[in-house]
Amino acid sequence: MEAIEKGTSLTQDALRRLRKNKMAMVGLTILLGMVIIALLTPWIAPYEYDAQNLDLGASPPSTAHWLGTDVFGRDQLTRIMYGSRVSLMVGFIATTVALLIGVFWGATAGYLGGRIDAFMMRTVDVLYALPFTIFIILLTVIFGSSMLLLFLAIGAVEWLTMARIVRGQVLTLKQQEFVEAAVAIGLSPRNIISRHLIPNTLGPVIVYATLTIPSVILLESFLSFLGLGIQPPASSWGSLISDGVESMEAYPWLLIFPALTLSITLFSLNFLGDGLRDALDPRASGD
Amino acid sequence: MTLLHVENLRVCFHTRNGTTVAVDDVSFSLAAGKVLGIVGESGSGKSVACYSLLGLIPSPPGKVESGAAWFAGDNLLTMNEKALRNIRGRRISMIFQDPMTALNPYMRIVDQLVEPLRVHAKQSFKDARVKAIAALEEVGIRDAAARINDYPHQFSGGMRQRVMIAMALISEPELLIADEPTTALDVTVQAQILALIKTLQQTRNLAVIFITHDLGVAAMMADDILVMQKGKVVEQGATERIVNFHTHPYTKKLFAAVLTSAKPVPSAARVTEPPFLQINHLHTGFIAQTGQLFRKTKQLIKGVDDISLTLREGEILGVVGESGSGKSTLGRSIMRLVDSQAGEILLQGKDLRGLSGRALKVERRHFQMIFQDPYASLNPRMTVFDTLAEPLLLHGIATKATVLEQVNQLMDDVGLERRFIRKYPHEFSGGQRQRIAIARALALRPKLIIADEPVSALDVTIRAQILELLLTLTQKHGLTMLFISHDMSVVRYLCDRVVVMHKGKIVEEGETEKIFASPVHPYTRSLLSAIPVLEKV
Repeated sequence: MEAIEKGTSLTQDALRRLRKNKMAMVGLTILLGMVIIALLTPWIAPYEYDAQNLDLGASPPSTAHWLGTDVFGRDQLTRIMYGSRVSLMVGFIATTVALLIGVFWGATAGYLGGRIDAFMMRTVDVLYALPFTIFIILLTVIFGSSMLLLFLAIGAVEWLTMARIVRGQVLTLKQQEFVEAAVAIGLSPRNIISRHLIPNTLGPVIVYATLTIPSVILLESFLSFLGLGIQPPASSWGSLISDGVESMEAYPWLLIFPALTLSITLFSLNFLGDGLRDALDPRASGD
Repeated sequence: MTLLHVENLRVCFHTRNGTTVAVDDVSFSLAAGKVLGIVGESGSGKSVACYSLLGLIPSPPGKVESGAAWFAGDNLLTMNEKALRNIRGRRISMIFQDPMTALNPYMRIVDQLVEPLRVHAKQSFKDARVKAIAALEEVGIRDAAARINDYPHQFSGGMRQRVMIAMALISEPELLIADEPTTALDVTVQAQILALIKTLQQTRNLAVIFITHDLGVAAMMADDILVMQKGKVVEQGATERIVNFHTHPYTKKLFAAVLTSAKPVPSAARVTEPPFLQINHLHTGFIAQTGQLFRKTKQLIKGVDDISLTLREGEILGVVGESGSGKSTLGRSIMRLVDSQAGEILLQGKDLRGLSGRALKVERRHFQMIFQDPYASLNPRMTVFDTLAEPLLLHGIATKATVLEQVNQLMDDVGLERRFIRKYPHEFSGGQRQRIAIARALALRPKLIIADEPVSALDVTIRAQILELLLTLTQKHGLTMLFISHDMSVVRYLCDRVVVMHKGKIVEEGETEKIFASPVHPYTRSLLSAIPVLEKV
C-alpha cells in the first residue's frame, strides 16, 4: 500500500503565509490575550466592578489601583476588564450574526439571479437607506435597552455590506466551469451554494469580517456614548470613554486608559485583517 | 547583416520559495529582414527571453543575471531606462497574444495609433492621423478613414489584431516581436493574420521574432527555428533542417505531437433502434435586452438554429466551427445547462427536454461533460477525492464504505497515481487537472460524454496524451462522445464523423476522412485550408 500524500489546501497555504506576517501575528496574539483576560475577568479582576469607595474618589494611578479610580472610587482596571467582555462580545456576536445573514442572503441572490436576485438586493438597498442610528434608537425605545437587542440590532445593520460582497463573488464564481460541472452532476441548488460557492467566497468574507468587528465595537461605543447601550454600573469601553470625556480636564486617566485599550484592539484587528487579506489572495499562492 | 545578437542570456525569478531560472544560457542571432521562430510549450521561457531584452519582465522578482543583447551596436541589457524607451515601440515593436485586452477600451483607435508617432517622432496629430489611416489600410482594414474613429469594441478579434499590427508597425521598426499573435483567434482568421504578417515582413524587409507553441506555424513563418524547453535552447537551426533532421528527443516529441494522421482505430459505432442520441429541430437562443429602462426591446439571439443530428452508439462525433458558431451552445443544450426553446433531444428514445426536477437529476448520470479550461472546471477548495466522491455518493453509486476504492479505480483509469487523492487542484499541472476532470465525468459511468474543447487549453505534447486517453477510455467503457472543437487536426485524429457548424446551422456532415478528402461547403474548405501544414521536403 503506497502512502497517500497529504495535500496542502488553500487554507493551509494561507495560514502558512499568515504566520510569516509579523504584524498580523502580533495583532493575533494581542487579540487572543484580550479574549482570555475577558473570559477570566470575574476571577482575576482585582475588585468588584460595582464596588464603590466614595472616600477615595477619583484618584490617579497608584499601586493599589494601577489605572486609577473614577469619581465613585471604582477601580478603573476592573471596569475596563469588565468592559472588554461587553465590547468584545458585541464585536464577535454581532459580526457572526452579520456573517450568517449576509453570506446566506448574498449567495442565494447571486446564484438564483433574475427576479429573486432583484427582489433580495432591492431589500438590501431599502435597508441601507434607513438611518441606522434612528433604527436602533427606535428599537431601544420600544423594547428597552437589553444586551441581546443591541447585538441583534447591530448585526442586522452590518450584514448588508456582507451580502453585497458575497453576491458579487458568487456572480463571478457561478460563471466558472466547476459550477456547471456541479449542475451537470445533478447537485441541487442548495448543495451547489453550500459546497461549491460559499467555500470559495470565504477569503473576502473573512477579511471583511475582521474589519466589521472594529466597526461594530465602535458602533457600540457610539451607542453607549449616546446613552443607548450599556447602562451603569455595567461598563463597556464605549461607556467608559464617554464618562472619561466628561471629566477629561480634571481626571485625564479616565479617558486615556479605556481609549488606549480600544485603540490597541482596533489596531490589532486591522493588522490581522490586512494580513489575512494578503494571505488569502490566490494570486499570492505559489510563492 | 546581423540586427540582433543575443549571447548567453540568463534570467532568474527570485521568489520567497527560492530562485527559478526562467531563461538559461540562450544565444541566437537574427539578421535584418529574417524571421526567427521560437517554439516551446508554456513555461519554456520563450516569452521571458524576448521580454527581458526590452526590460519588460516584472522586476523584482525577475532579474537578468548575465548575458548581452546587441541590437545595432548597443547592448540592450545595460542600457538605461530612457534609452530603452527610445528603442521600445520605435525600433523594436511588439504584438501580443490577446487583441481583446491589448487595446485600451476607453480610447479611440486613432488616439492609440498616433501615440507612438506623437511620443517618438514628435509629429503633429494631423500628420500622425494621415499615417495611421495609411497603416490601417496596409493591414487590410477597409474604409480606414472612417473606422479609425471607432472604439476597440467595435472591431472583431481578427480586426483588433490587425489594428495591433498597424500600431506596432506605424513607427517603422526594424524588429517586430510577435508573441503568439494568432493563438487567441479563430482558425480561418489565424491564417489571414499569418499571411498578413508574412507579407508585411517581406515588403518592409522587417526582422521578426515569432514566438509560438505551434511547430506548424513556426515552420510556415520562420527562416530559422529555435526550440526551447525549461529555459534552455534544445535545438536551433534553419527551418528546413529542423523540420527534416531534428535530433533532440524533445524536438522529436514536439513533432510527434503534431497530429497529421487519421484516427488510429476503427469506428466502434453500432446502429441501434431507437437511435442512441437523436436531436430534432433544436432551437436554443439567448434573450438580449436592449434599450432604455422603460422601453426594453427583447431580442432572441440564435445560438443553435434548427439543428437535427443523430449519434450512433459507440461513435465519436466531432462538432467543428469557430467561436460564435453555436457548437458550445449545442453541447450545453444537450447537457441541459441552458434551456432550449424548441425541438427534441432524444437519448435512447427519452426526451431530455421534457425532464425536470428529480427525473432530470436521475437521468443526468447518463450524460456528462468535460470542460475546456482545467483551471476553472475544478473547485479549488475540494480535494481530488472530494471532487470524485461527490457524484458517486450523490447518485448512490458508491456507499461510504466503497467510495475510496471506486475513486482509486477512477484514478487508475485516467492514469493518475492513487497517492494524489488528498491533494488540491492547484497542486496539479494543466494536463493532470484535465485528467481529474475526465475522471469526474466518468465517475457516473455515463453513456454519453460531451467534451467541449477539452484539449485546447493544453500544451501540444500534453494534448496528444489526453487525446490518447480519451480514445482508450471510449473504447474501454464503450462510450459515445460528442467532441466539440475548433481544431480540425484534433477532430481528424479522434472522430468517426464530423458535423461542421456555421452561424448556428449545420453546413456539412459526413465521415471524417470524406470531409477531409473532399469538403463540399466553402466554409468547410476555408476551415481545412487554414490548418498550417508541416511538410517535409
